[in-house]
Amino acid sequence: MTNPNAQPDSAFWVTRRVVVTGGAGFLGRYVVKKLAERGCQNVFVPLAEEYDLREKDAIVRMYEDAQPDIVIHLAAIVGGIGANRENPGSFFYDNAIMGIQLIEQARLHGVEKFVCIGTVCAYPKYTPVPFREEDLWNGYPEETNAPYGLAKKMLLVQLQAYREQYGFDGIYLLPVNMYGPGDNFDPETSHVIPALIRRMSEAKEKGLESITVWGTGFASREFFYVEDAAEGILLATEHYEIPEPVNLGSGAETRIKDLVELIAELVGYEGEMEWDTSKPDGQPRRMLDTTRAKEEFGFEAKIGLRQGLERTINWYEQQIGEPDD
Amino acid sequence: MTDATFWANRRVVVTGGASFLGRYIVRKLRERGCQDVFVPRAAEYDLREKDAIIRMYRDARPDIVIHAAARMGGIGANLARPGDFFYDNAIMGIQLVEQARQFGVGKFVYVGTVCSYPKAPPVPFKEDDLWNGYPEETNAAYGIAERMPIAQLQAYRKQYGFNGICLLPVNMYGPGDNFDPTTSHVIPALIRKISEAKEQGLRSITVWGTGAASREFLFGGYGRRNCACQ
Repeated sequence: MTNPNAQPDSAFWVTRRVVVTGGAGFLGRYVVKKLAERGCQNVFVPLAEEYDLREKDAIVRMYEDAQPDIVIHLAAIVGGIGANRENPGSFFYDNAIMGIQLIEQARLHGVEKFVCIGTVCAYPKYTPVPFREEDLWNGYPEETNAPYGLAKKMLLVQLQAYREQYGFDGIYLLPVNMYGPGDNFDPETSHVIPALIRRMSEAKEKGLESITVWGTGFASREFFYVEDAAEGILLATEHYEIPEPVNLGSGAETRIKDLVELIAELVGYEGEMEWDTSKPDGQPRRMLDTTRAKEEFGFEAKIGLRQGLERTINWYEQQIGEPDD
Repeated sequence: MTDATFWANRRVVVTGGASFLGRYIVRKLRERGCQDVFVPRAAEYDLREKDAIIRMYRDARPDIVIHAAARMGGIGANLARPGDFFYDNAIMGIQLVEQARQFGVGKFVYVGTVCSYPKAPPVPFKEDDLWNGYPEETNAAYGIAERMPIAQLQAYRKQYGFNGICLLPVNMYGPGDNFDPTTSHVIPALIRKISEAKEQGLRSITVWGTGAASREFLFGGYGRRNCACQ
């Protein structure tokens, strides 16, 4: 049964105990904040120091401590492209063993609902744009992320099998890359938006006349404001009970060139952009089809790119002790 | 060429070594001169449990692991218990590989299944097509779980230089196959049916389908065990 007009449902959360794995991470902090806003009284975030979720014993202990009705599994062990390339084995093992056992023990502990957050890295390398959920199995993922993507994707199959055999309510969501306040701005490992904000902000401060940007700028990507992602996850938890996976995204495609110009404008960087076309663009386009999320549980992203970037830039400037002028 | 010297000084674990295919592997290992073949029995080592795997590797100290164990059923069981088949096979494979790496096993031979192939790849199935689609629904959970050690071993080779290989045998038949009429596959089912018809002097027997479909049959000495998916 589709439900395109679903609304946030505070009553759903009042009496339920919720575990959020990865709840101290970038997306996790937004999910936890929204849960509190929805009136959830009992949110438990297992921290890695206390619970090594790759170990069955730690998972059992965690579930016994938290007694959850709902588990939102956001935790992922990931790196940037470099780390993924160097450690494909450990990324595979850590994510697979953590997810498989979290799901199995959730079933054994009588958890009412398991919400698994997958990754857009699970899509085949050559997926027609926009990516539709039906295409998820039609090919091998991009090689550098494949072990991580496959380890996460197998959890979808596990949840589907558990629903069939045990009637266990597990759902699977595939958010596209996110950005927002609290993102990682480390130049070594950051993604495109925080990397550009930092570079332009520094270039502006130093009065540089030009900066170099990789590629042609003609590749396009989808950018998803992290708070929207958190809202999508909660709406799905409240209203969605179907085994088919669901994409979560902003539904908007942005050319890198337009992104760069917008960030320059918002940061106030007035120098030139030099495109180093000897550097790769990566995939020419990447964007999700978000129809299913709208139809099934009424999710649509609310924060446009300009607004999301303004908030992100404000946050970054506060972090570096430079109030917005 | 067979290489008997390869086996003379190597200790070998064969998981699933008491199964249809496994018994052939163990016999052939002995014929090749392998002195040390260890078959972990389910009663003694529950290979879904990490502790049991560690104890098994400590007891056997293998140089080579041939992972031919699989938990699976016929179509009926696969349909009724996809969750069990997913979990048992996934957790067993992933931990056997990880612990083999930690124990310094020299080679891990993973015997996968033709059930991991997409539902309708071009015939003949080529290894390159393995990832290009979802398996046939009745055994998808099992087939996907059985793909995982393939991804894992490829990643372990890249990161650790761990020597793992993956083989995908097609449906097997041969002496020792399952002849139970409720769960057997096509060859033993036909042998039994025709043999009983002959004994009872029946004038005709009924066979399902048009007979125009074709399959590949591999003699049991070479693959893992029959697969329910075909």
